[in-house]
Amino acid sequence: MSLQLEIKNAVEVKNLSVAYSAVVEQAKSKKSSVLTRSTKIRKIEALSDVSINFPAGQVTGLIGGNGAGKSTLLKTIVGVLKPSVGEVHLWGRPHLLTPGMGFNRTLSGRENVILGGLAAGMTLDEVRSKQEEIIEFADIGHFIDLPTTTYSSGMFGRLAFTVATHVDPEILLVDEALSAGDSSFRKRAVSRIRDLCSSAKAIIVVSHSSALVSDMATEAVWLHRGQVRMQGPVAEVTESYESFTGETTETAQLQSGIDRK
Amino acid sequence: MEDSGTTDQKIVYLEPPFIRKATRSGLPPLRNYLLETFRYRTFAFHWSKGELKSRNFDTALGRLWHYLNPFLFGLIYFVFVGILTGGGLNSSKRLAFLVFNLYVWTLLSSMIMTSVSSVRNGGGGVLTNSALPKVVIPIASTVSATNLFLRSLVAYVPLHIVADRGFHIEFLWIPVLIFLTCLFGLGIALMFATLNVYVRDVSRFLPHFLRLWLYVSPAIWEYERVLESGTVNALARLNPTYSGFSAWTMALDGSIAENGPTLAHQVSVFALWAFPIAIVGFLVFVSREDEFAIRN
Repeated sequence: MSLQLEIKNAVEVKNLSVAYSAVVEQAKSKKSSVLTRSTKIRKIEALSDVSINFPAGQVTGLIGGNGAGKSTLLKTIVGVLKPSVGEVHLWGRPHLLTPGMGFNRTLSGRENVILGGLAAGMTLDEVRSKQEEIIEFADIGHFIDLPTTTYSSGMFGRLAFTVATHVDPEILLVDEALSAGDSSFRKRAVSRIRDLCSSAKAIIVVSHSSALVSDMATEAVWLHRGQVRMQGPVAEVTESYESFTGETTETAQLQSGIDRK
Repeated sequence: MEDSGTTDQKIVYLEPPFIRKATRSGLPPLRNYLLETFRYRTFAFHWSKGELKSRNFDTALGRLWHYLNPFLFGLIYFVFVGILTGGGLNSSKRLAFLVFNLYVWTLLSSMIMTSVSSVRNGGGGVLTNSALPKVVIPIASTVSATNLFLRSLVAYVPLHIVADRGFHIEFLWIPVLIFLTCLFGLGIALMFATLNVYVRDVSRFLPHFLRLWLYVSPAIWEYERVLESGTVNALARLNPTYSGFSAWTMALDGSIAENGPTLAHQVSVFALWAFPIAIVGFLVFVSREDEFAIRN
């Protein structure tokens, strides 16, 4: 009998709750606000008892409105935020695609390629071996040796995106990061993300746009107010999400019409 | 973890190598944390190089300011203290003493100030978006400050020779003192960087606090001055930098004051401050580092 070692899921989120405290400013009279600021600490429960499995070898889309907890979930998986309750099991190092992470604006583009690559978890040898490929992909010509303070925002975005997407991650997390540069660069950027998807163990793509998620993912999870509302095949989940957002928009429009009357 | 199989094949699902879960203390598993910190050592080195390059980036004298600043600072104190104490302005030994101590002070204060500002500014997005252990950022600032300090040691040598402070066997303590000063500075930097995330006023208050701390440390006055005075001496010893600066002065001058402590004693006292402060600073910082992503 042969023994085969396998992983079923790349990420397992088990009964995860994430709460944090935020300082909220309270309204005060003008007179008293001259001397002191009145603040109150409010506990925010961003995720509540969330359990999701992200299978290995699959692209999963995370959809939901503002404040649904999508970014909090990604940041907990990547390790920026700690769980308040529950656990996250990972079969690989996660990498959150963050253009410009670790960059120092006073350094040249070439130096930032090294710094950004190292910040993303690459070794110095890996960054050096990919440096020319990155510079070619970013296509910013002789500007590569000038301080990035001299770049236009589009050039900076291109370089930042290129460095971020030249990492070979085991688990890739993408949070609405596909908007760098002009239309021709955007096409190359989407194709680059697809290449990454084929090399990573698992990919989690977060977006407000169900079209983007449908385009890239096979499975989807819909988060609503910190809880899982639905998970399953991407077509079913996005359809339910769209009809829900359509309904809520209609209700809001109706409500504003009543208010105006 | 889980077994399933057919007649000729057994599938074993691997245990997860990384687990994130809540801990009562708020601290992550420390062994893993330290290993991850070590994994990012090259990033810390390059971040520090970038930090050095970007300082004084837009000035004509550029990096020369790293040496000029403490020198001019020392010159000002030399004139100021010389007039105030009536000691005159003709002692090159006093000038050398002041300039060197201010290089040490610059090492401490720049570690603290740079760490606080890098953590406040999010460390180039690293604090809010990366799994990188956040302590790497203050460590990188410590590397930058130490790098500058080592260069200033070289710049100080001519003044040391002109002032006739001499070359002594006590110089062998210098590497130990550099290590302890960095450890102490890093511990303080980690505490202030954490505190500043909660109370933003800390960064405003910090320059004043550091200035006051300098005045009560034997950096601009000789540690021997308080040896005879019981209460003042006892109070001075409550200041961790008293042992540090007196040890630096003894190591540089190769002499100890009559009825004063020995160099080994002062180094030991400084170590007794530096290690606990570094450990407490590290634990406070690490236990709160997820707050940096929320509050920054």
